[in-house]
Amino acid sequence: MMMRHSKKIQLSLCFALLLAAAACNRNAANNTTGTAGAGVRVTDVTLGRSVGSDKSITDRTETFKPNDTFYASVATDGAAPNATLRAKWSFEDGQLVDESTRAIAPNGLERTEFHISKPDGWPVGKYKLEVFLNDQSAGTKTLEVRGS
Amino acid sequence: MGIFDGFKKKDEKPKADFSNVQSGSSTTSAAPASASPLPFPGPATGTSGAEQSYTVVAGDSLSKIAKRFYGDANKWPRIHEANRDQIKNPDLIHPGQKLRIPGA
Repeated sequence: MMMRHSKKIQLSLCFALLLAAAACNRNAANNTTGTAGAGVRVTDVTLGRSVGSDKSITDRTETFKPNDTFYASVATDGAAPNATLRAKWSFEDGQLVDESTRAIAPNGLERTEFHISKPDGWPVGKYKLEVFLNDQSAGTKTLEVRGS
Repeated sequence: MGIFDGFKKKDEKPKADFSNVQSGSSTTSAAPASASPLPFPGPATGTSGAEQSYTVVAGDSLSKIAKRFYGDANKWPRIHEANRDQIKNPDLIHPGQKLRIPGA
């Protein structure tokens, strides 16, 4: 009888330990998500034909005409004394169109715009924009140029 | 096999020419305090005064890059000065070179 009772106690203890371990794991996961938000991060990338003085897109589109200027507005949140945003534009099979970098020292919500134009017009086809924050990919957008 | 090779060659599209693409950027963010000082007088503050970097692509020249960033091809010596460590001959730059572009 005593043996059966102590086994029950042992089982209960094991169950309690398992529950405690699971709770710890959940806390660890939550902490990881929390720290990912620290520093600075890209929260949004939008494309369009023009930007306003706040560097947000005023004429949003992902379909352009050959003579349009492509604008990308990159929203960041967080603070950092020194961060780097890079916009890499490529054409169809990965041919590099342009790559430019901007050093920023964000403090809260900020926007950075990148734009590219081609005086003799863009070739029709699909393009890709990849945005990097401190050399880590932070988002991609596809756009298309259709004949006018 | 030769027949297929012929088809492949026929289907291959010529590469598009992006050597004259013009680019720029601006931001609501302040420039990092660690940005190197401007080698030429320029606006000390403002969103367009920060140093930028640019990766050379095929067909580029310093004057083309100056035109792109400053709107004036004659300002190419500004870029040359900022990149003396890697540009010995201003007529010779190579695709893939990463240049410092001083603020306008």
